[in-house]
Amino acid sequence: MNTDDVDRFEKLSGQLTGVYDEMSLLSKKSPTDAVNKFKLKFINQQIAECNTMLSAKYRPFDDFDQFSEDDVPQNSDVVFIVAQYLQCLEKLRADNIVQRNGTWHWRVKGKKGEPVDEKGFALIRTTRPKHLKE
Amino acid sequence: MLIRPRLTDHFGIHKSQAELDFAIQFLNEDIPLYLDPFLLWKSPAQQDQALHTSITNSFNHLNYLVKKGEVDRAVSTLVTLSECAEVGLGMSKSRRGNRIGTEQALEVLRLFKDISEYSQFGFSHFEVIQLYVAGISKDRVSDIACNYLKSFLIDYTIEQCEQLGIPLQVVALPTIYNYRKNSFDESTKVRLPVNPVDGEPLIFTPKRWLRFTPWINFDDYFKTACPRDEIFNPDEPIDRVRVLKYNRDNYDAVERYVALKDKAAADCRNDPLFSQIPVISARRKLNDLLKLKSGKDDNADSQYEVLCTDLFATLFYPHLDFAQAQSRTESGRHVRDLIFYNNRSVDFLDEIFSDYGNRQLVFEMKNVAKIDRDHINQLTRYLQTGIGHFGVFLTRHELPKAMFSNTIDLWSSQRKCIIALTDSDIKLMVNVYESKQRTPIEVLKKKYIEFRRSCPS
Repeated sequence: MNTDDVDRFEKLSGQLTGVYDEMSLLSKKSPTDAVNKFKLKFINQQIAECNTMLSAKYRPFDDFDQFSEDDVPQNSDVVFIVAQYLQCLEKLRADNIVQRNGTWHWRVKGKKGEPVDEKGFALIRTTRPKHLKE
Repeated sequence: MLIRPRLTDHFGIHKSQAELDFAIQFLNEDIPLYLDPFLLWKSPAQQDQALHTSITNSFNHLNYLVKKGEVDRAVSTLVTLSECAEVGLGMSKSRRGNRIGTEQALEVLRLFKDISEYSQFGFSHFEVIQLYVAGISKDRVSDIACNYLKSFLIDYTIEQCEQLGIPLQVVALPTIYNYRKNSFDESTKVRLPVNPVDGEPLIFTPKRWLRFTPWINFDDYFKTACPRDEIFNPDEPIDRVRVLKYNRDNYDAVERYVALKDKAAADCRNDPLFSQIPVISARRKLNDLLKLKSGKDDNADSQYEVLCTDLFATLFYPHLDFAQAQSRTESGRHVRDLIFYNNRSVDFLDEIFSDYGNRQLVFEMKNVAKIDRDHINQLTRYLQTGIGHFGVFLTRHELPKAMFSNTIDLWSSQRKCIIALTDSDIKLMVNVYESKQRTPIEVLKKKYIEFRRSCPS
């Protein structure tokens, strides 16, 4: 990963968390209601970007690419899948961050002109891995 | 083979009723709606208002004839006006009605003599004759209005047919009312579509003019405006004729009622040919359906059929127009189906038409715990009668594995597609009907796609 990937990751993970929050609300209200085509189109766009970023190693399911409109997915289906993707994104992050002086940082390849550490990695401040308790 | 064929289905016009401006006629029976002249009067369109004026003027011309002593001509005009079979509106199961008799026509014409206001100023809403003359009701009002408008309706029909590509044929109409001459043109040759069943000419009517009952009608008058205390003594049985007589002697009672109806004109709307049940009612029916036990105990099977009929006619509207629920007997078993017209309004339905030849869709209702080989054979045999090779079971649970593979084999060997809609699918359909996030027809498509994925490529 490089600093551009971190940028993309943070945008994507933020958007997907937003999708998860919205869909969770809908799912709590009516879990078996169908998701409309408008929402589904954008959710699929997010999932396609996640698939690229996660690559085969981190993807939650080998045989899931995206939702099919024809399958009329329900709110709870979308919440279930998006939660899986959020977990896998977190796993990818946890594998690429380190602790320095008590704070957590992405440790990724630096580009030319960017400040890098002694081994040539750029450090970008981030939060602790979610599975670690305070 | 078509169940309850409609004109558009016969000519291969794949449009749903919701998409068309006119009421689609059945070939063998009437549409249970009536042309309400009040809808023309209240219409914002100048054309409709002008047509209403022409109806009223033409009707009041009968007064002129009566005053000139040409009662016979007035009677014969009114009798001729009293039936308009070409428009196919009303309750007739054979598309044929009878005209009124001379006596009844005379009774209508007597209103011009007996009630001085009409004699002097004429009618402003001629449909009030229902409130004066026994035996004149919504069908007569509608037919009289249609006959007065026939010339306009012929042009309208030709325009609609040319837009849709419905073939026109030169036919001779026995009578067309001539507004300029206030008499009938006889045996006029015009180009009109004809009923393929009996070769009779057909005339279309715009949906916006149709109602189940006219805005001004006797029952409404009796319920809302009739001074019953003045007509009947307490506990006296209600006699319609006495009300009519009272109205003839008390013009102002009718006039007050008409004034009230004029004021409430904003509430007067045309009735759709089909109206969906409200969401709350659909939800209630779904709950009743889910509570039903499978099998025949406590009439569960017939309750299931009634609930499914109500639900599906609504859920699939406007993508599929409901034709009818039909009963048939197959190998000694009673079978109930729902039949829908396939309008090819969505890509999936178009595929069903082109791949399986379904001009209509059949849904066989089975309130059984599991579908067995006999049920599948029954539906397969029915599909062979020409309805098309796509059929649907409405049943309680998914098909057992063996039966599902049976349907796959049927598709592989004969390209017949049988799918099952279960309680959970109906639940999803009602959910999307309520939330409007997707359409119930997409749930049917989903089941079809799932089935096709299981078929060998």
